[in-house]
Amino acid sequence: MVTKTEETQLNQLEIQVDNGGGGAWEYLCLVRNLKIRRSEKVLKHGSSILNDPRKRSALGPDEWTLNEQVAIAAMDCQCLGVAQNCVKALQKKFPGSKRVGRLEALLLEAKGLWGEAEEAYSSLLEDNPLDQAIHKRRVAISKALGKPSIAIELLNKYLELFMADHDAWRELAELYLSLQMYKQAAFCYEELILSQPTVPLYHLAYADVLYTIGGVENVISARKYYAATIDLTGGKNTRALLGICLCASAIAQLSKGRNKEDKDATAAPELHSLAAAAVEKEYKQKAPDKLQLISSALRSLKI
Amino acid sequence: MNLGFVVGVFGVLILSHAAYSTIQYRGLLKIMEEEFSRPPINVILELIIGLALCMWAALTFPGKFLSIHPDSDENRTVSLPDNSDFMIFNHRGRLFPPEIDMKF
Repeated sequence: MVTKTEETQLNQLEIQVDNGGGGAWEYLCLVRNLKIRRSEKVLKHGSSILNDPRKRSALGPDEWTLNEQVAIAAMDCQCLGVAQNCVKALQKKFPGSKRVGRLEALLLEAKGLWGEAEEAYSSLLEDNPLDQAIHKRRVAISKALGKPSIAIELLNKYLELFMADHDAWRELAELYLSLQMYKQAAFCYEELILSQPTVPLYHLAYADVLYTIGGVENVISARKYYAATIDLTGGKNTRALLGICLCASAIAQLSKGRNKEDKDATAAPELHSLAAAAVEKEYKQKAPDKLQLISSALRSLKI
Repeated sequence: MNLGFVVGVFGVLILSHAAYSTIQYRGLLKIMEEEFSRPPINVILELIIGLALCMWAALTFPGKFLSIHPDSDENRTVSLPDNSDFMIFNHRGRLFPPEIDMKF
């Protein structure tokens, strides 16, 4: 989870390093710790450190971590020469290392040699069959080849072994969503909410999926999870507030044929009006020229 | 920082002086064979002053307090980390490699 303080710190460091001030090494460490994908910047500043022999020796043993980070960033930016150099340097320093073996297979992936990469991963798996990263890379290969069904199969097998891997559950949810298998995606989000109940973004995604599936019960549950998101974010999440307004109008439409008591039980007029008022207040604060649009949209939703 | 530290040391000294006076008062009462119900008024006053100074120092010496609300402006989740374990390299950006010259 990237918090606001970390994000501001990251942006400040980025601006500072881009404009020629120092602090490239702190920036690279921060990117590595927060696991953010800023490959161009990492490549530019990392290779500037590695090109300068004085700065390189000043790093000491961290030089090899930097080599790995720059290698992966270079593969992401398709600068395969840089990546090859970094991997060669690491091979010379750590011959026969599994981590370097993984990097080599990653380089094969980046070059587009999917067959060789798959073989390299299988041979690495023979030596240590419980290596999480290698299983995940095999899933990534299937994803890159455009075969999401095979990726889903592999990922399901991986999750039977390693059920606590949040990133894998997230990836599985996104794969299901890309194939429009909403019920399975909802299951994945449920697992995520169970393991990390304080992250509001999972509640929001689950509510979105439930609203997409449709049907009165699902939309009522979606409203519950939008409300949970609002609770966790202190009312600042505009998307959740709008979600509640949409759920309100969807419930009103879907329960037109039902009798009076059912309708009264599911309606929550105070919640809807409060959410609409909160949305208008936010727009007044942050985007006052669009206030007209949102007010008319909310009014049309009430019908 | 310095003022808070000095005030804190002062407060601790006052408290220890109050403790010492109370022990002496108890010894005196034992000699006079009377009951020890509570320390004298000046010791109680000293205790209150020492309490106030120590509390003030404890609140100002450590510096800025961090927020604990999960939805406060510093602590709120801005984004989830990009799933770099499942990163794929054949995206559209691969057609625009940046110009990097390497000498190593």
